[in-house]
Amino acid sequence: MAKSSKNSVNRRGFLKGAAASAAAGAAALVTSVESAEAQRGGAAAGQSGGAVAPGAPAPSAAQVERDAGNVRPPASVRAVRRPGSDLQTQVLRDLGIEYVAANPGSSFEGLQESIINYSDSPNKRPEFITALHEESAVTMAHGYGKAEGKPMVALLHATIGIQHAAMSIYQAYHDRAPVVILVGRDEGFIAAHSAHDMAGMVRSFTKWDAQPKTLEDSLTAIQRAYAEAITPPTGPTLVVLDIEHQKEEAGTMAVPAYRPPQIAGADAARTREIAKGLVDAQNPRIAVGRLRTPRGVKLAVELAELVGASTSTTATNGPMSFPQRHPLCGPGANTTYDYTLGLEAGGAQASITGPDLATLLSRDTTNIGFGGIVPAAGGRGRGRGAATALAVQADAEASLPGLIEEVRRQLTAGQRRVILERAAKHAEANQRARIEAATDAVQGARGGWNASPISTARIYSELWPLIMNEDWCLSSPSGFSGGHHAQLWDHNKPYSYLGSQGAAGMGYGAPASVGAALAAKSRGRMVINVQCDGDLNYAPGVLWTAVHHQLPMLTVMHNNRAWHQEFMFVEYMCGVRGRGTDRGHIGTTLRDPFIDYTKMAACYGMAAEGPISDPAKLSAALKRGVDSVKQGRPYLIDVITQPR
Amino acid sequence: MTRTSITRGSLAFIASLLALVTPLAAQGPQRGAAPPGNRPAPTSPVTGNAASGKALYYSYSCHACHGYGGETGRAFVGNWSRNLESEESFLRFLRARANLAPVQPSTSMPSFAESTMSDTRAKDIYAYIRTFKSHAPELKDIPTLNQIITAASRPYTP
Repeated sequence: MAKSSKNSVNRRGFLKGAAASAAAGAAALVTSVESAEAQRGGAAAGQSGGAVAPGAPAPSAAQVERDAGNVRPPASVRAVRRPGSDLQTQVLRDLGIEYVAANPGSSFEGLQESIINYSDSPNKRPEFITALHEESAVTMAHGYGKAEGKPMVALLHATIGIQHAAMSIYQAYHDRAPVVILVGRDEGFIAAHSAHDMAGMVRSFTKWDAQPKTLEDSLTAIQRAYAEAITPPTGPTLVVLDIEHQKEEAGTMAVPAYRPPQIAGADAARTREIAKGLVDAQNPRIAVGRLRTPRGVKLAVELAELVGASTSTTATNGPMSFPQRHPLCGPGANTTYDYTLGLEAGGAQASITGPDLATLLSRDTTNIGFGGIVPAAGGRGRGRGAATALAVQADAEASLPGLIEEVRRQLTAGQRRVILERAAKHAEANQRARIEAATDAVQGARGGWNASPISTARIYSELWPLIMNEDWCLSSPSGFSGGHHAQLWDHNKPYSYLGSQGAAGMGYGAPASVGAALAAKSRGRMVINVQCDGDLNYAPGVLWTAVHHQLPMLTVMHNNRAWHQEFMFVEYMCGVRGRGTDRGHIGTTLRDPFIDYTKMAACYGMAAEGPISDPAKLSAALKRGVDSVKQGRPYLIDVITQPR
Repeated sequence: MTRTSITRGSLAFIASLLALVTPLAAQGPQRGAAPPGNRPAPTSPVTGNAASGKALYYSYSCHACHGYGGETGRAFVGNWSRNLESEESFLRFLRARANLAPVQPSTSMPSFAESTMSDTRAKDIYAYIRTFKSHAPELKDIPTLNQIITAASRPYTP
């Protein structure tokens, strides 16, 4: 189809147009009220005048023109000195929000302008992060939230932005990731982009939402959204921000002070009981699951050291658990434990587990945001493993300061000496266990060491010596690539491994890694993304975001040229039905042609190399990648791998 | 509520333990041990054609789970199942599973009825599988893996 000469703009024309626009800038600022009203009225007239299907109004001619960029949105005629969105931005700043990720949308143009221009330090805390898809924006926030235990913001454009983002919101919900989502709403521009209750589209899988009626309410709503997101059960929250509130004159309105939520821990009686159990035990054990924040991890370490308990960890499965190589982490010198405490872990004699988000089946949508979150029966983890004698439904992290204080109060000098001796024995046994586990793991990694395509175990093995002395974060799920890092690597930080997708939804690895890399950038950390090929193809534009914002992210393709899990499922079904497996590859593999990920990366401006199928070339390539990332330049290495 | 410095407490605690465990770390790992779960390769007679079995191994997508050379994923090498002890046991495994169809979901191996994989083809595939052997270097010859074991002995640093 021939391009319209009207819309075809070459560089010279573009520059000429830009100059003309600048000259007309002043005039544009004083667009008449009549003109603005006419634009709004035109939209309404268009809706009522055409042949419209009941309940689904077609866009008017005027709306189509606006959507094509031929008409500007209604211009503000007020000389606003202190726009409402400046206050909204100040609220985000006060909350410590580092980043707001979005692809642009007219429904939040006021807030976007404030983020990039407001104050003497514009576009800093929060910084506007350019996403190329709303799903990517939310998953960035998902990855950031898991790495830091606190939210960043994803900003969505009205009805269409919410729907683009829906799957990623769903996934963050299942993963209990603290995420704050802001959604622009502009009732007067394109009718199809607005709705009376936009949040309703994702209410089943957001923890809390609001659509404030005034600017003042919008400020407290953002604060509450943040508080709800970080209060257990943590999860995504959503606030709809009307464009009129973003643009209105705030005058002397004050930004309300933020009051952090008071998160309740175990009560005093339970705390004393648990402390006594730990102090009196000859061989106490602490099972540590996923805590909320890095502070919770530090407190768990403090408690374990205080009572000399051996510990278990979920740090090889996900974030915010006990350091894997801490001397107390492991089976310990004696595996007959006479008292076990679970921190966000079930099956212990005493388990402190916080509330879980309501399941989709049990959710009462009429109550969302008004007390509708009800803990799952018994709390998370209850009923697994051994019987729990004392199940405490309270946030474990919030329970720890009181528990530590109570243990200190109960401990005698004699007990402290015994504890130190016990801890030393645990440390020795755990050291031995660590070396045995690592030896077993490298023996396993030997299998297929020289195979081509390259074994996934070799990828993880070759990576470790290159990063073991760095501050790193493995941001991508490893289930599909063998999970070899679990015993080959040391997971000692709350963010060492961010775990699985949450709802096993694809399109997660790269954007979650970008979110983790946003957290990493200012903290001198690097992010490792072992990226499944099928997963990357959902929204690969996130690679551009990594380059644009110079994020420390190394992507190593686990390129088995398939959605391999599905390939195996379909093969299985072919076999079950006795019709042969020779067509199991149809719809499950990425062949004919193979996808060239180095070219994909290059088109987004990312340095890349590959495809590499010779294992002897892998280590040098990984070193080049790590070196590039350490200099703030993201890098992609396409590795042709064994299926698993 | 008062709380003592976590960092200072942790460092002191770890330092006290390291004094005790360093001698153990210095001993280094036991190297060259056999891979865990190693079952010896079968030695029973083979009647199939390994060359045609190679093509069938890929066309039936056996490599999808068992790796291109039987050394990765659900590997054969170093983990020879009893189902692979002989041609007969291999055929029995395939057919029994087909007769059980639909097999239990917990078993992810596809079933193969004779209508989809003849005895001749199955024996050819078996012959090819039997050619698989470890190409892995000795552990002592893989510096990267030795580096990982050595790293496991390093003192923990918060």
